[in-house]
Amino acid sequence: MDSILELQDIHKSYGGTEVLKGVSLSVNKGEVLVLIGPSGTGKSTLLRCINLLTRPDRGTVLLSGTDLTDPKTDLNRMRQRVGMVFQEFNLFNHLNVLNNITLGLTKVKKMAVAEAKQVARLELEKVGLADKADSFPGELSGGQKQRAAIARALAMQPDVILFDEPTSALDPQLIGEVLEVMKELAREGMTMVVVSHEMDFTREVADRVVFLEAGQVIEEGSPAQIFYHARSERTKNFLGKIIGLPA
Amino acid sequence: MDKLDLIARNLPYISQGIVTTLLLTVVALTSGFAAGLLLSLVRVYGSNRAAGLAIAYGRAVRGLPLLVIMILFYLFVADLFHLSAFMTAALALGLHSSAYQAEIIRAAIQSVGSGQMIAARSLGMSQLQAVIYVILPQALRLALPSWSNEAAVVLKDSSLAYAIGTAELLRRAEYVSARTYEPLLVFGTCGLIYLMLTFTTNRILGALEAKYRLPDGH
Repeated sequence: MDSILELQDIHKSYGGTEVLKGVSLSVNKGEVLVLIGPSGTGKSTLLRCINLLTRPDRGTVLLSGTDLTDPKTDLNRMRQRVGMVFQEFNLFNHLNVLNNITLGLTKVKKMAVAEAKQVARLELEKVGLADKADSFPGELSGGQKQRAAIARALAMQPDVILFDEPTSALDPQLIGEVLEVMKELAREGMTMVVVSHEMDFTREVADRVVFLEAGQVIEEGSPAQIFYHARSERTKNFLGKIIGLPA
Repeated sequence: MDKLDLIARNLPYISQGIVTTLLLTVVALTSGFAAGLLLSLVRVYGSNRAAGLAIAYGRAVRGLPLLVIMILFYLFVADLFHLSAFMTAALALGLHSSAYQAEIIRAAIQSVGSGQMIAARSLGMSQLQAVIYVILPQALRLALPSWSNEAAVVLKDSSLAYAIGTAELLRRAEYVSARTYEPLLVFGTCGLIYLMLTFTTNRILGALEAKYRLPDGH
């Protein structure tokens, strides 16, 4: 089992408040890791520390052995290997769906336009949006936007994809289509780190669940362990509130 | 009909001023855009010190009446660089416009959501690439309505060039008025010409706005 991602003792403060108080995690290739916990406890911040969109105050981030926190590392190049999907989709509004995907391929990976378009169409096919290639983000539903965003991240062929509450901004009836795509990705062996409140999805797809509260890892284990045999009271409290599991 | 005849005879002379007016406007808007874009990028992405300088520049230039800038340019800059009245006026207009365009573009850049930059960076784009391929294309579209307004303002402000001797529309009208002793008629015609120019400019820019509007399923 090779560790693709390793977070060592991550600390981050905003203003006077310490949001991450020494978080350590490791993710193996092909693993699906789901971070759960109350809102505002630093889950999104932690995710952004992984691809250094947010620079930790202290601690190390290792991607397949490369230290991303080292100031000498070419972050732009390393970020190509970490895909990210956001709660607010963040599709490029001035470009149609196809070009949203080809932009990264042509400008960052320096791919030829024709080849980039081919790759883009393949990814769109995969997420079920082949017919929306020429549509603009403003014309899509939330579920379609998120699937397009996933295609955009996939096209870069990353080692790992980070999902920051991918379905939290979606109407309930659109959540399913996005989760389906994510399940398929997991089945194909993509390494995924997901921040989510979708407990059914977590139970079904996660290899490991990490419970984060107040900037610290309280507990981690398999879904069965966390949901039914949680060791910590705080974990049980949280789960009790979320899914009404017996404490 | 004596009056109409008078207008008809002098119209060619007055109309040559239209070319000068339009040239002044184009030069001022273009140089103002180049400088304004640079200033706005420094404001948003530059170091605190650089941004501070950009802010100070903007405040100083916007704090002066355009006429004062024109006259100062005429008195100091024109002689120094042996500039024609046209160039002097164009530079003064451009400087003045750059401060306002910097504000317009800055506001537009900042109203592009922060998620756009984050998404671009997460794909591995450098900040420069993100600004060129993601931020500016959206910001400039957002800026179009305000920019159209600025374009009309510069067109009208070009009339101030008459104060330093540039032979644009207003100055030529003034000359004809002095010769014919028919100020109401002449300046009225002049006003109508300005109206036609601003109206046409607004129509063209309006068409541009419609062309670049982003589809949103409506």
